[in-house]
Amino acid sequence: MSASGSEPARGALGVGLVYWSELAPLFAPGSAVVDVLELEPQALWEKGWHDGGWRYRVNEGLLEQVAGLPQAKLVHGVAQPLGGTTPDPVEHVSLLRHAVDLLDPSWISEHLSFNRVERPSGVEEAGFLLPPLQTAAGVRVAADNIEGFRRALGRPVAFETGVSYLRRRDDELDDASYFRAVAETADCGILLDLHNLWCNEVNGRDRVSDVLAGLPLDRVWEMHLAGGMPLSGYWLDAHSGAVPPPVIDLAAELMPRLRGLRALMFEILPEHLPTIGIDGVHRQIEALRALWALKPRETLPPIGASSSTSKRAHGRPEDVDEARAWENALVDLIRGRTTGASPYGDVAADPGIDILRELVGDFRRAGLTRALRYTMTALLAGLGSQQTHALLDAYIAQEDADPYPAVESDRFARFLRERPGILDRVQYLRETLDFEHGLLRATLFGATTEIEWSADPTAIFDALDSGHLPTALPPMHSTMRIG
Amino acid sequence: MTELNPQPLPPRVRVFLPREAAYDLEKMQKITATVLGKLGCGGCHSGHVFDFLTLEDFVVNPDTFEVQEGFVGQRF
Repeated sequence: MSASGSEPARGALGVGLVYWSELAPLFAPGSAVVDVLELEPQALWEKGWHDGGWRYRVNEGLLEQVAGLPQAKLVHGVAQPLGGTTPDPVEHVSLLRHAVDLLDPSWISEHLSFNRVERPSGVEEAGFLLPPLQTAAGVRVAADNIEGFRRALGRPVAFETGVSYLRRRDDELDDASYFRAVAETADCGILLDLHNLWCNEVNGRDRVSDVLAGLPLDRVWEMHLAGGMPLSGYWLDAHSGAVPPPVIDLAAELMPRLRGLRALMFEILPEHLPTIGIDGVHRQIEALRALWALKPRETLPPIGASSSTSKRAHGRPEDVDEARAWENALVDLIRGRTTGASPYGDVAADPGIDILRELVGDFRRAGLTRALRYTMTALLAGLGSQQTHALLDAYIAQEDADPYPAVESDRFARFLRERPGILDRVQYLRETLDFEHGLLRATLFGATTEIEWSADPTAIFDALDSGHLPTALPPMHSTMRIG
Repeated sequence: MTELNPQPLPPRVRVFLPREAAYDLEKMQKITATVLGKLGCGGCHSGHVFDFLTLEDFVVNPDTFEVQEGFVGQRF
């Protein structure tokens, strides 16, 4: 592999799925359902405090399990996107490099978005992948990021065409021009997420046909297809089920034009798997195979950057300032903060801001549900939905987001401990919180916690698993140590 | 003390219970493993993430249980 991240063209990889353990039967040796496994490596990372700072730690056992599966592998980043000005302050390149070395992908992809901003007090996580600045300055910022990503990981890079729930602005490039400019300036590949483009059209942005007409289609190495769902008049890219028929039709029209396509992937999130079931995923894969048969059979053009990228225009400090002004303003608007003298104050009137605010809230509440499930159940069962929402809204307004459930939940646990009135109102809430928070503190900080149980903890959890508070449990005192 | 081994992963969290604990250790191990198994980055979502919504619907609208609403208007 050359330092520029170029390599001789490998063959087409075929049809595949984004990997989740819930879909494991479809990847099992001998199943022959899919040709390609795409891994989001950060799903196997945890965040912890070590040696005076935050560090990521990979679940080596799961990563090696995935590496041992028979399919060709791709790596699809989800946490260090390529469209913004603020890099992840936590060291991550070595873990990405490790995943690349183990999985040997033909290319790596990441989102053309941003998800964190720089403030005087430090880096603030946005809690969501947000649309980047679509101007010439934004193009140069993105191209610099892509080149850095390519050099750090030693593989060709493709960016994913993103969804945006915001209206297109007059002062920005249209979507096709922006994607084209980034791809040509960075000399990189494109991961065409066709459902994202369809969402954008349905939600009032550019038409899919116009975007496709303006894209350098030979640079499309990979295509994603997914399902979505409605929310408040918008169509969300929710990875929530079958690919909508209009998107299948668009893909069928497009496939003969994608000379450079090497992989066609279906995306579904595990929480939505019950919607269509494993059999439904099978049917989606069959539909993708029918699309794959429409692909041109000619020799694939090579992928990877040429040496001419060093001659392109690089981002200037004023480009970073311009992009940063957009990023800070958007995050402020989503969090309900005033934007002061920002040129983007008018974006406050965009109804997409309310959608983004709700989605960020969903994401943060989901993190709490994953890592503090029993605490959240006790709150809902003890306070009711309305009061729990009010509590969570107060928390979200006060504390910054973190994409790692353990970190988000540690913050919420400390927020809750500052409200002893609530802990006292709901029976067994305090010891339930102590238990879950103790597990989190052990993973985050290596801290030891002793929990005093007043009743059989399995009886408490049994009741919460059934959706109600335990009542009238026989007293049973015990001490548990977590560390 | 009895030690649980709640994760099939390289162990990083240890849970100790009193030897005389009269409750179901296997269940306790499963619960602990469930918490520890969901801490990866949930970064790539451009839509609803349903975990809380699903839990809320389950807890607030369980088929057989009523939920007592808390005091309206209380500030947190």
